[in-house]
Amino acid sequence: MPMKLQKFETDEQLKIERIMYARRYSLTLDKRRCVVCELCEAVCPREAIRVVKPEDGEQAPPRLEIDVELCQYCGICNAVCPFGALELKINGEKTIPVVKFESFPRLIRDIKIDAEKCPVGCTVCMDTCPLKLITVKVVDEEGRPVENVDLYPEKERLKVTVEIEKEYCPVCRLCEYKCPYDAIHTQKIIYGHISVKNELCPEGCRECVEACPIPEALQISEDGRVVANDLFCVYCGACRIVCPVEGAISLERTVIRHTPVHSGAWNKALEKLTSTKGMAKELRSRALIKVKESVERRLA
Amino acid sequence: MSGEEPRIGVFVCHCGLNIAGVIDVEEVTEYAKTLPNVVYAVHNRYTCSDPGQDEIRKAIKEHNLNRVVVAACSPRLHEPTFRRCVAEAGLNPYLFEMANIREFSSWCHPSTPREATEKAKDLVRMAVAKARLLAPLKPLKVPVTRRALVLGGGIAGINAALDLAEMGFKVYLVEKKESIGGHMAQLDKTFPTLDCSICIEGPRMVDVARHPNIEIISYADLLSVEGYVGNFKVKVRKNPRYVIAENCTGCGECRDVCPIEFPNEWDMNMGVRRAIDIPFAQAVPLIYTINRDHCIECYKCVDACGARQAIDFSQEPEEVELEVGAIIVATGYDIYIPEEGNLYGYGRYSNVITALEFERLILAAGPTGGHVIRASDGKRPKSVALIQCVGSRDINKYEYCSGFCCMYTLKHAIQLKEHYGREVEVYVFYMDMRSNFKGYEEFYRRAREMGVTFIRGRVSSVIEDPETKNLIVRVEDIALGEPVEVEVELVVLATAAIPSKGSDEISRILNISRGADGFFMESHPKLKPIDTPVDGIFLAGACQGPKDIPYSVSQGCGAAARAATILSKEEWEIEPIIAVVDPTKCRNVKVKCGICATKCPYGAIKAPQGQPAQVITAMCHGCGTCAAECPADAITQMHFTDAQIFAQIRAALEENPEDKILGFLCNWCSYAGADLAGTSRFEYPPTLRPIRVMCSGRVDRDFVLEAFRLGAGMVLVAACHLPYDCHYISGNWRMKERMEVLARMLTKLGLSPERFRVDYISAAEGVKFAELITEMTRKLKELGRERIVAENQKLKPVLERMLSRKRRAKTGS
Repeated sequence: MPMKLQKFETDEQLKIERIMYARRYSLTLDKRRCVVCELCEAVCPREAIRVVKPEDGEQAPPRLEIDVELCQYCGICNAVCPFGALELKINGEKTIPVVKFESFPRLIRDIKIDAEKCPVGCTVCMDTCPLKLITVKVVDEEGRPVENVDLYPEKERLKVTVEIEKEYCPVCRLCEYKCPYDAIHTQKIIYGHISVKNELCPEGCRECVEACPIPEALQISEDGRVVANDLFCVYCGACRIVCPVEGAISLERTVIRHTPVHSGAWNKALEKLTSTKGMAKELRSRALIKVKESVERRLA
Repeated sequence: MSGEEPRIGVFVCHCGLNIAGVIDVEEVTEYAKTLPNVVYAVHNRYTCSDPGQDEIRKAIKEHNLNRVVVAACSPRLHEPTFRRCVAEAGLNPYLFEMANIREFSSWCHPSTPREATEKAKDLVRMAVAKARLLAPLKPLKVPVTRRALVLGGGIAGINAALDLAEMGFKVYLVEKKESIGGHMAQLDKTFPTLDCSICIEGPRMVDVARHPNIEIISYADLLSVEGYVGNFKVKVRKNPRYVIAENCTGCGECRDVCPIEFPNEWDMNMGVRRAIDIPFAQAVPLIYTINRDHCIECYKCVDACGARQAIDFSQEPEEVELEVGAIIVATGYDIYIPEEGNLYGYGRYSNVITALEFERLILAAGPTGGHVIRASDGKRPKSVALIQCVGSRDINKYEYCSGFCCMYTLKHAIQLKEHYGREVEVYVFYMDMRSNFKGYEEFYRRAREMGVTFIRGRVSSVIEDPETKNLIVRVEDIALGEPVEVEVELVVLATAAIPSKGSDEISRILNISRGADGFFMESHPKLKPIDTPVDGIFLAGACQGPKDIPYSVSQGCGAAARAATILSKEEWEIEPIIAVVDPTKCRNVKVKCGICATKCPYGAIKAPQGQPAQVITAMCHGCGTCAAECPADAITQMHFTDAQIFAQIRAALEENPEDKILGFLCNWCSYAGADLAGTSRFEYPPTLRPIRVMCSGRVDRDFVLEAFRLGAGMVLVAACHLPYDCHYISGNWRMKERMEVLARMLTKLGLSPERFRVDYISAAEGVKFAELITEMTRKLKELGRERIVAENQKLKPVLERMLSRKRRAKTGS
């Protein structure tokens, strides 16, 4: 049996496979989670992932295309996606080779929830989460979920649990800000700056606002201007992809929080995601100067 | 010598009664004395014997002879003898000419002694005419670079390199892939002994790496080859491994930290390798290679390598120039991979695999750890069909037999039985079981005794049961004479061996030819199976045609011995019958011509714009094709000059030309075929007057025109068989192209088409030659002298005009 490269696409997912005699690789893009942002395309070392923009006159949103011939199932896209939309499997098991071999970091999703502070009945965070990743439950002493709180005799013995599907969370911090009880503390994955030059915007264009996965990050003000909010922006760049005018949205990533790593591949990815300055800053700040020197010596 | 008046001595041989029994040698001798410039003529019983040769030597001294003609047997037999003889007497060996009055007269015309004698006189006259114009020639000598290049590090190349190295010659072994070893390193066991393939090849590979006389240049491409026998200049590009060979210890720590896996081509894409890796554990040289197509540059390997500092991402391709005296081509073969779904469902059905994939499956170090499992469900098959001749012996794919598939199919059957015994049913579908050579038939018997089922017949189709993924093999069982269906769980296809992918480029770079099957052509299928038509380039192993391991090894050793015949000499001698360009006549100076350069079968002529064409003498094989093609008659083939051949034509047709057939016979096939007709005593009419040329490509159209101008009854041009028999690669093709145009023109001018004949006679076709001359003579009679004379009269003025530019040649200056 020759090696087979296959591709399947449905409305919900895009899946590519490399089937070898005794080994099977798959990479699945969950289209429901994918917001069609800039990140995976930027970091793919083989340029196997591409954002395909609609042709002129075509009424369709941009979409991701994965090249079945080019993909080598390294898992960099999987590691870098803040929305957890990509999933790599080898022989049916979830794995990210570049992370396993410490060639690439994982993103740090720093989310602390002190559910002790949560009063029974509050679901603000759950309602706020734009990606519907939070589940608030009320449980009894044994941890059994309580369906109807009003019918429970000893309300003071009830507890609240808050669960977040972390692997899909881009950490927009909306829940933290909306929480009335200071129960959630988070730190962003990606720090940066975003601004919109409204003077460049075509009349009545709302593309960026519609593309933004976090409703509070890009909004239309009362006077019809687009307002960006650094507080909630996850700096994914989905807005920039749909923006018809180059330079109307300026977006800069400065810092990405990730697990410690010592890798040229990450440095390159970091440079693409932030800037040379951003990369250099990280290298300096994390005392990786030695590595940088050795790399430069070899690349010289 | 050239200014000197020729003083020719003619020696007519009795050859016992072989010649004298038919021909009146006395008369021939007396006749010879009457020919211009002949100062001495004598006949003796055996000219080739010591007293005979003494007589020649003595006569040269006593009569101050400066040319010698011996009228005896075929020059193919004794020309070297007499050349040596005259050389001993101080004469240049090229001032000697032979008249073949035995094979061409006494032996083939025994019942017509009168005519045979007349023909012998004509032959002597022709030889004397040529002898008058002979010029002394010096054998060319070129220095020999005593190093060899072996292209391809498979088992044939390995053995060629080792043998040459052991003889003391420096060898460059250039391999395209990262490791030497070739296909043999991919195999599990070898037939018929079932010893582990890499266990027997591995030590040889290590020997190569360790040998002080061998330099392995692996992961490299051949760029160009220039030069000629003894003096090749070879350019090779070493591709960057991004690992410094000297620093790499082969420890593999870099591999262990590499996160990237990609399909291992060496493993038939069944297993994976890392972005920094070796193709297989026993690789030689043991140097890791980074595949930059896949590397993500995380530099984990750099850290792992540490102080050894073997990894260097800045490496660039490096060109090296090698100087060698001989080249051995051992570039091997490829395995035919059926196009998707095209043959027996390969590519469409998961459980149909090729035999080479099966090798990787059953190999303990393979991707499944030596477990034969199905791709569809990972289970071990309980029944296996081995289908033979997939692509081979198929006129729609590859017509030839791939040779070794019968044996490896038997091996697979036996291996399955050895591994799984009664738990597996093995069926072999075959057309013919070819188990010749030592121990092979016994191996076949062993398979039968182990309970393998052999079904004879060509499989018509394989279809898959979509649920079980089992396969149904349909075949017409020849033994039963009826269609049979067999359901199996795994199908293994014994696919054809085909020319390796780069063969085209190699053949272009080395100027060696390929046969209809795409494999490289040997110089002669029987007697020069290792030589190529290019001196100094030899073939070994499956690049010349599919071969099994012992055959490839023998050929590797054979090629080493052939190469050593050159490398062991200080100087290589080249026969001086080469082409020479007269720069004052060459048209290429003024206009863009270069015809000679395009027609030369060896690429031995260079015609740079605005300069006269140049013959690279050491590459010239002396076929004379260029001399015949040159529109300005600026090229001369030494010892077969226009003037010499014109003189022969004129001598042949001096008397009664209408009754004669003038034949141009190429030395290697047609002349040898005619010799065979003589030695076999096939009698044919004495009408032919033969002129020997080295190759039919030498036959200038002007020769034919001159013959008809002089009134020849018929003209024959005989060559080696098309398409591949020509000893000068393609001289017969050039002759065919030229003569077809000429024949059309002559017919238009009023020549009866049967009077000009092109035919192909092999050295074995004595009968055919005799029949051809008989048939032509019959037609000559049918046409009748009158009609021929009438045609000739009409043609003569036209031909004279056409030949006017040959006037100078005609006067013989």
